[in-house]
Amino acid sequence: MYAQAFFVAVFGLAAIGFGVWVFRTSSMVRSALALLFSQTAVGCMFLAMQTEFLGVLQIMMMATEMSIMAIFMVMFMMDPGGMGGMDMTHQKRFSIGAGVVAAGVAIAVAVLADWAPVSAEAPAAAMQTRELGRELLGRSMMIFETAGITILTAMIAATAAAIPVQTPAHSDEKENPE
Amino acid sequence: MTAVLIVALVTGAILFGIGVYGALSQTNLVMIMMGVELILAGALVNLVAFWRFLHPESYSGQMFVLVVMTVMALEMAVGFGVAIARFRSRGSVEMEEAEDLKG
Repeated sequence: MYAQAFFVAVFGLAAIGFGVWVFRTSSMVRSALALLFSQTAVGCMFLAMQTEFLGVLQIMMMATEMSIMAIFMVMFMMDPGGMGGMDMTHQKRFSIGAGVVAAGVAIAVAVLADWAPVSAEAPAAAMQTRELGRELLGRSMMIFETAGITILTAMIAATAAAIPVQTPAHSDEKENPE
Repeated sequence: MTAVLIVALVTGAILFGIGVYGALSQTNLVMIMMGVELILAGALVNLVAFWRFLHPESYSGQMFVLVVMTVMALEMAVGFGVAIARFRSRGSVEMEEAEDLKG
């Protein structure tokens, strides 16, 4: 139990530390890497909480997602390396206040709530995966299918948004470059 | 064991707060998306902690985690689609330059 508490706390601190670093560095690529480390620490917290399947899934998904994010950072930013020390923030005081209030309220609920008796034992990893599969293909199948359709819709929407709009003026330019 | 639950919930709450700060304070669209990712990461930590320590017999909690992970991936995909469209039309993904989107 103490080992579990220790590892949950250590990975939690790592997730928070890297989460803060995301908005502290002026380099966009470093921000993406800090977010990758923060999300990986969250995945390690899942592993420490004996949720093996979700932990591995979180680490794999976030590694891919944040690598793509880092590439987009290099593509979009005028100063991806942060050498110019650009400030890309606004309404800083309001944002800090909102963040502190949001976290404070959630911490107060976590600390002050009277939680039901907690379970000391988690189901074995193989059983968790099997039961999650049964849940996905049984009682929660409609939700699972809805998530699939939503992913398809988002893929089409993202592709449609990214395709350049061909206005008549542009197509004329292409046909007659001079 | 309650201590582990509270540690996990406090971690989730702090990640949520950092994400709120990032989503509100950043001017770059991709950085705003990073803030939203941190908010969702905080929600994920809470969901897993609730499943593990309060309801390990019911797998709806893990199902909910999968749905939130799907939302994270969708947010990235659609966000980058919008970012590409914006970059093509205006050459920037700075949201302070997107005031023309106001109704």
